[in-house]
Amino acid sequence: MEEELAMLRQLIGQLQELLHNGSPPPPSSSSSLSSSSPSFLVLHHPQYQNGWCLPCIEDTSADDCCDIVMAGGKRPGIFKMLETVKPPVKRTRKERTQGKSCTEVDEISGNMDQEIWQEFPQDLFEDVVSRLPMATFFQFRAVCRKWNALIDSDSFSRCFTELPQTIPWFYTITHENVNSGQVYDPSLKKWHHPIIPALPKKSIVLPMASAGGLVCFLDIGHRNFYVSNPLTKSFRELPARSFKVWSRVAVGMTLNGNSTSHGYKVLWVGCEGEYEVYDSLSNVWTKRGTIPSNIKLPVLLNFKSQPVAIHSTLYFMLTDPEGILSYDMVSGKWKQFIIPGPPDLSDHTLAACGERLMLVGLLTKNAATCVCIWELQKMTLLWKEVDRMPNIWCLEFYGKHIRMNCLGNKGCLILLSLRSRQMNRLITYNAVTREWTKVPGCTVPRGRKRLWIACGTAFHPSPTARA
Amino acid sequence: MSSKKIVLTSSDGESFKVEEVVARKLQIVGHIIEDDCATNKIPIPNVTGEILAKVIEYCKKHVEDDDDVVETHESSTKGDKTVEEAKKKPDDVAVPESTEGDDEAEDKKEKLNEWDAKFMKDFDIKTIFDIILAANYLNVQGLFDLCSKTIADYIKDMTPEEVRELFNIENDFTPEEEEAIRNENAWTFEQDGKQQVPKP
Repeated sequence: MEEELAMLRQLIGQLQELLHNGSPPPPSSSSSLSSSSPSFLVLHHPQYQNGWCLPCIEDTSADDCCDIVMAGGKRPGIFKMLETVKPPVKRTRKERTQGKSCTEVDEISGNMDQEIWQEFPQDLFEDVVSRLPMATFFQFRAVCRKWNALIDSDSFSRCFTELPQTIPWFYTITHENVNSGQVYDPSLKKWHHPIIPALPKKSIVLPMASAGGLVCFLDIGHRNFYVSNPLTKSFRELPARSFKVWSRVAVGMTLNGNSTSHGYKVLWVGCEGEYEVYDSLSNVWTKRGTIPSNIKLPVLLNFKSQPVAIHSTLYFMLTDPEGILSYDMVSGKWKQFIIPGPPDLSDHTLAACGERLMLVGLLTKNAATCVCIWELQKMTLLWKEVDRMPNIWCLEFYGKHIRMNCLGNKGCLILLSLRSRQMNRLITYNAVTREWTKVPGCTVPRGRKRLWIACGTAFHPSPTARA
Repeated sequence: MSSKKIVLTSSDGESFKVEEVVARKLQIVGHIIEDDCATNKIPIPNVTGEILAKVIEYCKKHVEDDDDVVETHESSTKGDKTVEEAKKKPDDVAVPESTEGDDEAEDKKEKLNEWDAKFMKDFDIKTIFDIILAANYLNVQGLFDLCSKTIADYIKDMTPEEVRELFNIENDFTPEEEEAIRNENAWTFEQDGKQQVPKP
């Protein structure tokens, strides 16, 4: 006990000396008295004296105690310990002191900022980092090894997956530079140009479908499928197909669960009704067959309209007879719905918003062209018009021959390309807010030439999706 | 039963008398009440009075969250990722239409979000740190999520160097490793028409 008391006196002396040396000279002598007095009183207060001293003694030897106290790097920690010990009434006096001296407050605050984050539990960082804007997350991979490794962390992946679905991005390609994607972030209205090194360089590959942050590509000869996360470069080439069908195919993709860790499926279907399903968990094309005979063949799919997925069901647009073809990835069942299209419609494409099926198309009457949105009424199997492009935008296309292409649709957002001979206008439509937005022009880094977007697909950006 | 009071005591001896329904928003307290482990006095040894006051203020404001069908603030599980974010509407009801109840719930949620933003606005970064630790310890999921989002917004426009400085994180990359990571993610630093990759 006497030894402990001696040690305590020594520590008190050293602390007083440290406090004196560690702080900058206060502006006035009264501040000096105020700032040092509370500490002195606290250290001699019987109630707090033992509480403060015991952990130090128990955990370390006397010499280690001295070293800890004397180490310059631990100075902020000492301030924190002192603050912890102070009773409420002392804090009141300190607050009055802080009011007098701004310089002193800044000094303390600066020290505090450095110290407190060291104690921040590492697993809580995952909750913060998972809420960063997507591009910022990738920038912060350069902060330290631990942050860089989040991209491969299962707990971070769960953290990220639990957050509400983000606004989708769009992966597009242009007529030139076809193996480098042009990726659009609608929330920031910003284009990015990530490169997927593993994609073949000597053939054209097209983005066809996406699920869970992954994009499914097909080479232009319809032979090889690839799946990749465009942001992380995670990549997989799918095995060769059993059917030797090199004609045009429609491609759909779904997740098995709520993230790619449970696997995904890819379906292709050809115009003769032959189809095949790939399962990533087994890495094989598991199901193959032909569309059942109760569905009229040949299937004239509208290949310009990408299939849309609602839960585990894929929907394809049919041109003859007009309507929709659906395939349930879980049950393996095909269904056909005969739905007459709206009149005077061209370049139409299927879309989805939540659980609603939508139709997007061009309406042309006389010389005026307008983009129109319909929603499928499930009870009546009829398309009902729900929105039109603003009139003032239609004037831009008046008298011109316009073609429309859908460059992607997910999460109620649709990206449309409107082309005339002189112009390629990209617009997005949000089916929930019913907001039409123009997309800024896309240029390559260091380039000035505006790129013309050829085709694309929407995907939910994810730092953790694995092919 | 709803008039029952619970006294929460902070680490520095401050006492807070709150309605039981408010106290239950601190789920760790809710479990203690459920297990009947205590009388109406419950110590909160790891949280100071200053911070506990903020947590309680938040819980009082959000006391009705669990009854609000629109509010998913404190759901421990979220829907399937492929389920889109949009609200579900009846199949044959036109998009612009909505029930009066939906409008009411939507308005209430919006006001609650405004209150949240105002609540967080006046805190310095140290206080937010203390609150998120308390929310994590006391299992107040909504407040925890709100703090996580606030900190993320605070740092989102910083450079990696600034983040290291703020959080006192050591740069444990070799120069070669750091350069490789920056090159791999160079697409995120591109500006319109020109490319800016910050040097280490």
